Amino acid sequence: MSEPDDPRWLDEVAGELRREVTVRPAWRARLLDDVARAARPSARDMVDDPFGDDERALDNGPRRWSITVRPVAGLAAASLLVALGAGVMYMAMGSRSGANPSQRVAQVRSSTASPQLVSRAPAATDREVVRFELSAPRASHVALVGSFNEWNPVATPLSRDPASGKWVVSLRLPPGRHVYAFVVDGDVTADPSAPRAADDDFGSPSSVVLVSSPGT
Amino acid sequence: MIVRLVALALALAASAATMRAQEVDRTLPSQLSAPTRATLERLIDSARVTGLPVDPLYSKVREGVFRGADEPRVLAAVQRLTRDLGDARSALGDSAGGEEIAAGANALRAGLHPADLSRLRESRGRRPDHPLTVALVVLADLATRGVPPAMAAASVNELVARNVSDGSLLSFRQNVERDLVGGRSAAAALDARTRAMIDERRP
Repeated sequence: MSEPDDPRWLDEVAGELRREVTVRPAWRARLLDDVARAARPSARDMVDDPFGDDERALDNGPRRWSITVRPVAGLAAASLLVALGAGVMYMAMGSRSGANPSQRVAQVRSSTASPQLVSRAPAATDREVVRFELSAPRASHVALVGSFNEWNPVATPLSRDPASGKWVVSLRLPPGRHVYAFVVDGDVTADPSAPRAADDDFGSPSSVVLVSSPGT
Repeated sequence: MIVRLVALALALAASAATMRAQEVDRTLPSQLSAPTRATLERLIDSARVTGLPVDPLYSKVREGVFRGADEPRVLAAVQRLTRDLGDARSALGDSAGGEEIAAGANALRAGLHPADLSRLRESRGRRPDHPLTVALVVLADLATRGVPPAMAAASVNELVARNVSDGSLLSFRQNVERDLVGGRSAAAALDARTRAMIDERRP
């Protein structure tokens, strides 16, 4: 073979590699027989590779899924899931009943008050649907801010009701006393048809909506 | 697999916490300076320790930030609300719930006296389980609209003593408001509407 710096060296190496390797016919036949007799991977083989990353699991019929969990790790996972479930239930119950049952507000039933309770929420939740509406025919944008949306002026925009021309939005609110206001083209204004909150610490008044708790 | 289970558990825990946080966000806005946040946290913690409802305090902070109030003003508003909540709780009694206390604080802010709240509690009489929240909201609203607080307290007191429902109290408020807008004097409006409501309840 020539020296590596000879330009013909690469061609010689490539030619050598491309040359067909002769295999004795008897060896070839024996190899193919062995492959044909080889057993398919067992379920146990698959368990060691539960997510099918091993090539053995790829082309052998329907993929079987099984999980092996070590006892200690399984116990830890089960404990975690139980704790999580208890936590979720606690939070759900806390939001339904509150820390003190006496904190629940009285049920408000008024067919004329606005905002009023327009429908009862499904039994699975203790929120009530409350419809807020404002007559502001010349406004181009109206939003709702209050204790229920962290006084976020972009969280609850109102839309114009084509039938009445009023700005409206319906929200599911938890039981309680909520303080709120409208933002009309950037100006904060109280709801003219709702009870007022007295604590106008920041310059303009707010309104109050009372949401009943189911069953009271 | 364990890693996947843990990831699932953490994701569920995070979503549950978010659901809870949507109702009451008990954090202070990041727009406030660190010293102001620290002062507010001390204030709110002391309110919590004494058993006062703290959600109105968090809401007050956020309202102040939304309205562009400077930090001293936000602090002053929260301090005042804390004081009003304490006075309302004293006037309404230890059995008062958070919503009642918040509504009572609002009534005090509107010009009612703690004694007015105590009288209202006494008028409730044999219905100690019936919250006074609506009556207090109506009282605060009337006082805010210019009705003399003592006069408003006397009327609402009389209605509560006669077991008038919460819905009727709200109707009473609306009717008085309508009369005031129509030019009627506060005394005349209160007198007429109170009598009408009492007459309605006579058999």
